[in-house]
Amino acid sequence: MPTAHRILTDEMIAAIQAYFPRYPTRQAVTLPALHVVNERLRYVPLEAVVEIAELLELAPAEVQDALSFYGFFRQDKPHGQTRAWVCRSVSCALRGGEEVLSHLCRAAGVRPGGTTADGKLTLEFAECLGACEFAPCMLAGDTLVKNLTPESADAFLQKVKQGVSVGGQK
Amino acid sequence: MPKFEPVLLANIGKPNSHALAVYEAAGGYRALKKVLAEMTPLALIEMIKSSNLRGRGGAGFPTGLKWSFLPKDHPGPIYMCINADESEPGTFNNRILMEDDPHQVIEGIILSCYATRAQTAYLYIRYEYPLSYQRLQAAIDECYAAGYLGKKILGTDFSLDIYLHRGAAAYICGEETGLIESLEGRRAWPRIKPPFPAVEGAFRKPTVVNNIETVCCVTQIAARGVEWFKSIGVPSDPKNPRDPGSYGPKLYCLSGHVNQPGCYEAPLGITCRQLIDEYGGGVWKGRKAKAAIPGGISMGLLTEAELDTPLDFNGPGRVGCLGLGTAAVVVIDDTTSMVDFLHNSCRFFAHESCGQCTPCREGTAWALTMMERIKAGKGRLRDLDLLLEIGDSIGIMPGTTICGLADGAAWPIKNAIRKFRGEFEQYIQKTNPKGYQVTEAVEALPILAAH
Amino acid sequence: MAIVIVDGKEVELAPGERLNGIQAAERAGVDIPRYCWHPGLSVVASCRMCLVETGTRNAETGAITMLPKLVPACQTPAADNTVFVTDSEKVQRSRAMVEEDLLIDHPIDCPICDKAGECYLQDYHFQHGQDKRRADIRPFTSRRREMGETVTLFVDRCVMCSRCVRFTREISGGSELYVTNRGNREEIDVFPGRPLDNKLSGNVVDLCPVGALGDKDFLYQQRVWFMKKHAGVCTGCSTGCSIDVEENLDTVYRLKPRTNPHVNQWWMCDEGRYGFHYVHSDRRLTNVERLEDDKRLILEWSQALREIDERFRDAGRVAAVLSPHLTVEEAYLLARYARRVDSQALVVLGPVPVVGDDETFKNGFTIRAEKCPNRRGVEEIVQHFMGRAATLDDVSASIEAGETRAAWVSGGYKDAWIDEATAGRLAAVECLVVQDLFDSPLLERATYRLPGAAFAERDGSYVNHADRLQSVAWAVRPPAGVRVEAGVYGELLAMPGLVKARRVLDEVAREIAFFSPAADPVGPLGMDLKARVMAAEAAITG
Repeated sequence: MPTAHRILTDEMIAAIQAYFPRYPTRQAVTLPALHVVNERLRYVPLEAVVEIAELLELAPAEVQDALSFYGFFRQDKPHGQTRAWVCRSVSCALRGGEEVLSHLCRAAGVRPGGTTADGKLTLEFAECLGACEFAPCMLAGDTLVKNLTPESADAFLQKVKQGVSVGGQK
Repeated sequence: MPKFEPVLLANIGKPNSHALAVYEAAGGYRALKKVLAEMTPLALIEMIKSSNLRGRGGAGFPTGLKWSFLPKDHPGPIYMCINADESEPGTFNNRILMEDDPHQVIEGIILSCYATRAQTAYLYIRYEYPLSYQRLQAAIDECYAAGYLGKKILGTDFSLDIYLHRGAAAYICGEETGLIESLEGRRAWPRIKPPFPAVEGAFRKPTVVNNIETVCCVTQIAARGVEWFKSIGVPSDPKNPRDPGSYGPKLYCLSGHVNQPGCYEAPLGITCRQLIDEYGGGVWKGRKAKAAIPGGISMGLLTEAELDTPLDFNGPGRVGCLGLGTAAVVVIDDTTSMVDFLHNSCRFFAHESCGQCTPCREGTAWALTMMERIKAGKGRLRDLDLLLEIGDSIGIMPGTTICGLADGAAWPIKNAIRKFRGEFEQYIQKTNPKGYQVTEAVEALPILAAH
Repeated sequence: MAIVIVDGKEVELAPGERLNGIQAAERAGVDIPRYCWHPGLSVVASCRMCLVETGTRNAETGAITMLPKLVPACQTPAADNTVFVTDSEKVQRSRAMVEEDLLIDHPIDCPICDKAGECYLQDYHFQHGQDKRRADIRPFTSRRREMGETVTLFVDRCVMCSRCVRFTREISGGSELYVTNRGNREEIDVFPGRPLDNKLSGNVVDLCPVGALGDKDFLYQQRVWFMKKHAGVCTGCSTGCSIDVEENLDTVYRLKPRTNPHVNQWWMCDEGRYGFHYVHSDRRLTNVERLEDDKRLILEWSQALREIDERFRDAGRVAAVLSPHLTVEEAYLLARYARRVDSQALVVLGPVPVVGDDETFKNGFTIRAEKCPNRRGVEEIVQHFMGRAATLDDVSASIEAGETRAAWVSGGYKDAWIDEATAGRLAAVECLVVQDLFDSPLLERATYRLPGAAFAERDGSYVNHADRLQSVAWAVRPPAGVRVEAGVYGELLAMPGLVKARRVLDEVAREIAFFSPAADPVGPLGMDLKARVMAAEAAITG
């Protein structure tokens, strides 16, 4: 592509293009492409949307339409090194999920959706994580943190602060 | 623990249960080999039809019948979409199957694709299941290497590719046409029907959408036979010729206020109380249950007195619930406020409404506004009637929405207020003694920031 | 013959006709309210305003079986023996619900909203809504956001019908508009740096059932209930879109496409839509003038026409240049006048402005390079009088040869249309009459300058690129001093009374075979001259 300041690296473009043979349309690669970028940059800036749209032969507005629907991809700035979702749906809520979320937010000094000043952690609420037998639970990157208590939440924060990789997020 | 010998969960708990070798050692892929060698696709459809297997994803539609809706002699392609967007609050049975027995899932997919002549299967998996994703991808890789997937499977003319497609945290992608729209790269607004996916689905081609547990049942039916399947569960109602019955084993998810939450396999038709007491070790902290969700939050509520309801496809409906749903039971103990429960439910559906149909988009948000106000001590008795009016008017059943999300939003409202009205009225009178009788529109609370 | 029953009334469907519930009801005289459905766009059935009850009538027993649930009329096909009930209590309750839902987040700022008076939300509220607000009240805003050069969005007025989004994806094809977010946080938006800038952009304002999308050209110019609509034809190009000219007290405020399945369906382009302002330009010619010793003398119309008539009769050989902006009737009258003073008079087609190439959009809508409404009509008139095609070059040649000594050039062009050289060649006659809207190199050289009328001021007919004839009536009176061409030619021809375009067209239809179908009444959608002639020929030969 001709743009001087490309957001997508050759590696990302190749990763996106690798999905093309799987689907009969380019548009179907929208979600895979957004994930490719998000996993590497921890967000999908508007410029990346334009470049993805170009690869998929779509208008940027069509990609943004899909992207914005999910509320999953951040666009203003990258999320923290660890992105943690605390479940707030019924099974977790019945066993203290909301209290754990407030506790974590207070302890980390952020509001739900916010990122700590050191950029190490983004805390968010999630709807049902599908791990209700471990309620209340949290998905930190790729790791499920089970049966949360205020104490285990504090321990989690401690690990994150010390820079221990939690959840194997890239 | 009760006596039922698990079948769908038979491999769970074995070391390395997700590995091909372990699965094969337990007899895995024998059903596939047998079917490919001995059965035509049509015969497999007939087999599943005669088993009366009903979809495990929530609606309980007969699987064989769904397959038979595909156009005959279609030149193709025909697509299989596997729905692993399991997002119904309280539900996690598919996660366990994918994480710990991915090959049972894949064998079921291969069999289902053989029956429907699909040569491409997209497995739409929610993003919140990273371990499932990794395990499935590894299992798929093993299958390609072993000749279970790819071109000319096991030397036959049947070819199949399975692709994992990751979602991005949207409940509505579990609706089959929402899933298809999302798969195609658009916002997951469910499609109007007709045309149904069997006629025009993914990429405008005939498509079947099946749930993970459903295809696992296909594996087991192919391995053990129709007779075995129909020896389990609840037979069809002889007085209702259209009732396909509730046959087979079912994975029940049990969570909330029980001593041993978990996923348990039992014959369809086990009562909610049996599940709680015999499998879940009873209500926690020695308390009593006030209510239980019978099958995911959208199904509504059973009261304590209704806990003896059998959890088959007809049982919950008889006591005013929406249905069996995902068979995910969430127990609510007697110290819990139903106001809090309903607020939680309304918040979920307002967050997850796709926003396409006016009654659902505005109705779920309005219900949440009222619940927030009630919870904050500014409720009015009139709000309960308004909530019921919303509950009674939104959904695919009254015909006011395209998909069933709104029915799922409506049922907790209807059941909670109709079955626990006294508690709501008391809460409102106690927390808003001056204003509980106000009937005019009042100021809204400041809108809470949501992301 | 298929029969559909709407509220107990039977309506017939033609063989093979495919209607939905809304269209079938319309045939029974029943208006089903709707927001998202539009006949030109895909069906999404999401607003749920058109919910009705439906069922089937048993053809043999006549017994009617109704579905228990409501269905969207837009998505329900009307087949033989389909029953629709649109006025039951159940239907009315669901309409009231949708109205109440849509008003929860709506700012209700009708007093400052351009759409008031032609707003679906407002109209349906009075027809189907409930009188009291029951939802919580919260402070309302109506954030405004630019969509592009032509269109602005009042975000909170939107009812999420998604018509505008579908338009940019299905009709114009640029996909600039999209829905952002989910649930009741949804809004319409454009991607940053990619505004709505296609040449059909204005249509999204027409499509918007509420006041969300505003037309910047029209914004706050006029209350809609003060304007009168006049069926017209867009003269911007040879597509000849059917339009409504909307005016109040002789000022045109906006043009809107008028539905015509044979021409423009529901659409028109921005060039046509916003191109009317020249009608009210203060550069319009309003004086009748005679050039005398490099001075211009202002004359009375009647005196000027008397003088011109005398000089034309004295000139012997004359020429008439028929502008492709003239109506069929005007072109015919001018040609007739020229032939009356000189039975050999040259009758030619004036310059046909062509800009760029035809531009076709995703659904087939075409903006034509030919920027005039009536080349085909004038061509046929020239053919009739001359027996051949004739153009301005014929006139220049004849002037150069010293034959033509007086020429009448009609204009009506809104943009520059003639260069100095051509003008110079034409000016070499003894008497040059130029009838036009604006100054031009030719006008500079005219012996007589006559201020001409603009499209919104004319009566008459145009023939578009596909030989479809459409007749229109004037919408506004011309500025003081301007006389409409037809009247001028009528006076020269000493026609009694006012010139009635329809009477002239009757004569044209009698005299010129091409126009013969126009002897029949011309409906609001016009008539296809080619098809009619072919049908007539087939009838004769067959």
